[in-house]
Amino acid sequence: MKDLVTLELKISKFLRLGVIFAGVLMLTGWLMEIEFSRDPFIVFKTYDHIPFQDLLDIHLKNQQWGYLISYAGLLSLIVLPVIRVLLTGILFIKQKERLLAVIALLVLAGLLISFSFGIEL
Amino acid sequence: MLSFSLILISVFAGFLGSILGLGGGIIVVPALTLLFNIDIRYAIAASLVSIIATSSGAAASFLKDNLTNLRLAVLLELGTVAGAMCGFLIASYIDSSFLFLLFGGFLFFSAIMMFRKKGDGHTNIDHPWSSQLRLSGEYHNEKGELISYKVANVPLGLFSMYFAGILSALLGIGSGIFKVMAMDGAMKLPMKVSSATSNFMIGVTASASAGAFFLRGDIRPEIACPVAIGIIGGSWIGARIMPILPANTIRKIFVVVLVIVSIQMIMRGVKS
Repeated sequence: MKDLVTLELKISKFLRLGVIFAGVLMLTGWLMEIEFSRDPFIVFKTYDHIPFQDLLDIHLKNQQWGYLISYAGLLSLIVLPVIRVLLTGILFIKQKERLLAVIALLVLAGLLISFSFGIEL
Repeated sequence: MLSFSLILISVFAGFLGSILGLGGGIIVVPALTLLFNIDIRYAIAASLVSIIATSSGAAASFLKDNLTNLRLAVLLELGTVAGAMCGFLIASYIDSSFLFLLFGGFLFFSAIMMFRKKGDGHTNIDHPWSSQLRLSGEYHNEKGELISYKVANVPLGLFSMYFAGILSALLGIGSGIFKVMAMDGAMKLPMKVSSATSNFMIGVTASASAGAFFLRGDIRPEIACPVAIGIIGGSWIGARIMPILPANTIRKIFVVVLVIVSIQMIMRGVKS
């Protein structure tokens, strides 16, 4: 159990670096776009559903690099817990904790399935 | 300039959340909706991102004191992730006025829970699932004594986590209060272990629905980036000056604010 906590501590320190990396990306992207973006307090007053794929296409077409960097920062932040679960699962496999490894991999599968719910086909 | 006010309010939310041991969502969602008139669905999606930031950034400190039950956390994440999946699907069919009512009710409940006397759960009987997965553990208390604990009612705890996951996805919160209640009340874990394990799990719960909201296009950088940056900065400041602050006095003031905000959220829900 102690070994497990030590290894998990290393993963958690890696996550902290991930948060800093994502934070830098988000700050950079946001500062790059702040001058050109429309007033968020007017635009987001009412809900207007635009799928992520369409938003990405618009920003790529208009070469709005600030938005793209912001999205990269947001995505890297969102996948951090997924990486943590994956690494924890691998730790359990290495420690021959088969049942807990299966549970961790089920959590990972749940996360990936949940992500897929957001994709509109 | 208004965008910078968004950062400032998020710094305040991160700061307050850090000194009170709450996620930022409980402060950010009402601030975005009531102060800035942002649609509650964008506010919820942005809040989930900030929860991941604070939880992932602090995961190492939760583990250092050996209070976090890692094996139990992995098992219970199964329940919270399943709940978050359902919560995301339910959220697609729920009217925003109902979200205001639900959030207002949740804030009111949280205010009551903050006044609750915190007692330690204790059981001598290990649930069969706990024995099988070796979920029982031990930690050192303030006096340096080694405290051993066992884990009761694992299925009930897992089921409660499912509801915590639903609430997290619906309201953009970490649902730490419900997680602690389930671990402390149903599974009879010591309060410190419940709190540390709950904090450790919050990022995974939030990530499940945040990923779906992101791919659906609800997480917009114009809101989510300043909110996440502000909360990361605020919680960093809060963690550093927490020892010199009168946290109990701040908690009492915050409970009053929470009740007022909950009434405003419910009124907004009724009006719209």
